[in-house]
Amino acid sequence: MIDNTSDRPTQEITLTVNGNEITEEVEPRHKLSDFLRYRADSTDVRVGCEHGACGACTVEVDGKNVKSCMLFAVQADGSDVLTSTGLNEDDGLGPIQEAFHENHALQCGFCTSGFIMATKELLEKNPDPDREEIVDGLSDNICRCTGYVNIIKAVEDAADRMDTVSQATGDD
Amino acid sequence: MKSEPFVYHSPVSVEEVVSLMNEHDHAELVAGNQSLAIQMNNRLATPDHLIDLNDVDDLAYLDERDGAIEIGAMTTHNTIAESDVIDRKLPILSEAARQIAGPSVRNVGTLGGGIGEADPAGNYPTVLTALDATITLTSESGDRSVGVDDFFIAYMMTEVGENEMITGATVPTDPFPIGRTGMSFLELKRVSHTWPKLSAAGIVRVDDPTASEPTVEEARLTFANASDTPLRVEAAESAIEGTSLTDDALDEAAGIAMDSADPADEMQAEAEYKEEQVGIFTERALREAYDRALDQ
Ligand SMILES: Cc1cc2nc3c(=O)[nH]c(=O)nc-3n(C[C@H](O)[C@H](O)[C@H](O)COP(=O)(O)OP(=O)(O)OC[C@H]3O[C@@H](n4cnc5c(N)ncnc54)[C@H](O)[C@@H]3O)c2cc1C
Ligand code: FES
Ligand code: FES
Repeated sequence: MIDNTSDRPTQEITLTVNGNEITEEVEPRHKLSDFLRYRADSTDVRVGCEHGACGACTVEVDGKNVKSCMLFAVQADGSDVLTSTGLNEDDGLGPIQEAFHENHALQCGFCTSGFIMATKELLEKNPDPDREEIVDGLSDNICRCTGYVNIIKAVEDAADRMDTVSQATGDD
Repeated sequence: MKSEPFVYHSPVSVEEVVSLMNEHDHAELVAGNQSLAIQMNNRLATPDHLIDLNDVDDLAYLDERDGAIEIGAMTTHNTIAESDVIDRKLPILSEAARQIAGPSVRNVGTLGGGIGEADPAGNYPTVLTALDATITLTSESGDRSVGVDDFFIAYMMTEVGENEMITGATVPTDPFPIGRTGMSFLELKRVSHTWPKLSAAGIVRVDDPTASEPTVEEARLTFANASDTPLRVEAAESAIEGTSLTDDALDEAAGIAMDSADPADEMQAEAEYKEEQVGIFTERALREAYDRALDQ
């Protein structure tokens, strides 16, 4: 929990989270993951290990994925942060989320928001990854339930869906 | 567990970093925070002041100079992995950067952090030792250059002094002419996001790659996690220099490397096992480097 009732020093920071600007006092030792869960209502950001090992806390900060348990919130002052719910579209889930849902790429779901962010960055860099590239792109994330097979299928499916979307809209 | 409380500073210049270090006792620099955050969570590091280098733009550079490439301390693993210049002239460095953890660690982890951390299993200390790089240290009294041999002193201990910082590394490219040099970085690890149990860096320069039996003019062989500091095995290098990498020469080099190794026991890799692997990795790294030197 973040609790400012002690007399430890705090610092004011402003972050944009999924398009909403949020200004809060935080202790410098609080992680971005704490800020997102307790101050920004982004409980889709999961904290598994708080040691950089599991990837459940992966979010995008100014266009790059980071493990939010490995960044102090004060370091992200002024940044634009995107979490997995930020990928929702007006009429529901976005293509990556949809692909995870339909391919049964989750069981308990604890790892899912991290995998979705990892998939987003991977497909932005490489819209048509082969299996090996998918495994490398997801290598910061751990899933203890699925055995990864359906996660890989979901990434392949998401790549197809996004390809169709970009063809329909004329983007490359 | 959360770290202990600290005061956070985000300077924008090297001068400012240096004066903050001088002003405050118990200050620690933070780069990518991919190692330090864990130590602070575990309260193995308990700085009163944290000095963030991420806004010091002058520390993120990659310059090709005459006969050398200079790399700033805040250059990320990802930048090194994707640099064309490094891939062409010092491919072992991009190969090593690409093998660190996964994309989100590589987005923020830095060269300076990897050197400053000096983990015996770290990729950069070993590769920079093979490349015979020089580290630039900066303090109030100016810059000084320290060769890698003198830089890594003991287990996770470096030559970086009190109130001193790493600003960059200079890696010579002259000894490694494109067209007849091959480099190979190999890791022993079960899954890609974990630290390796052992890594080997092999570099081979041949006289003439088109000859029927090209001769090794110069070789480099270093290991990570085979001792407390990066291990360079010069006697093994000599054993293959002047040969066309015959099986006998490789066997001899492997034997020498195994004798020089002094690895520590760890979970899933006992010292004896690592020592055996040093022999196997000697042969694989040098063979791959030699093959790459010929195949251009
Ligand atoms: C899951 C995971 C797997 C990893 N696997 C590997 C691996 O296989 N191989 C590998 O090499 N690394 C690995 N790493 C570590 C990663 O490479 C780190 O990025 C690196 O060790 C530290 O770099 P950093 O920029 O994050 O430094 P930080 O964590 O910010 O700092 C590390 C230390 O260096 C000091 N420091 C930082 N910059 C400077 C400077 N300019 N001058 C002086 N001191 C400085 C800091 O004070 C601190 O003591 C892994 C990390 C994670 C989270
Ligand atoms: S909670 Fe951040 S990597 Fe596990
Ligand atoms: S679905 Fe349970 S950890 Fe991945």
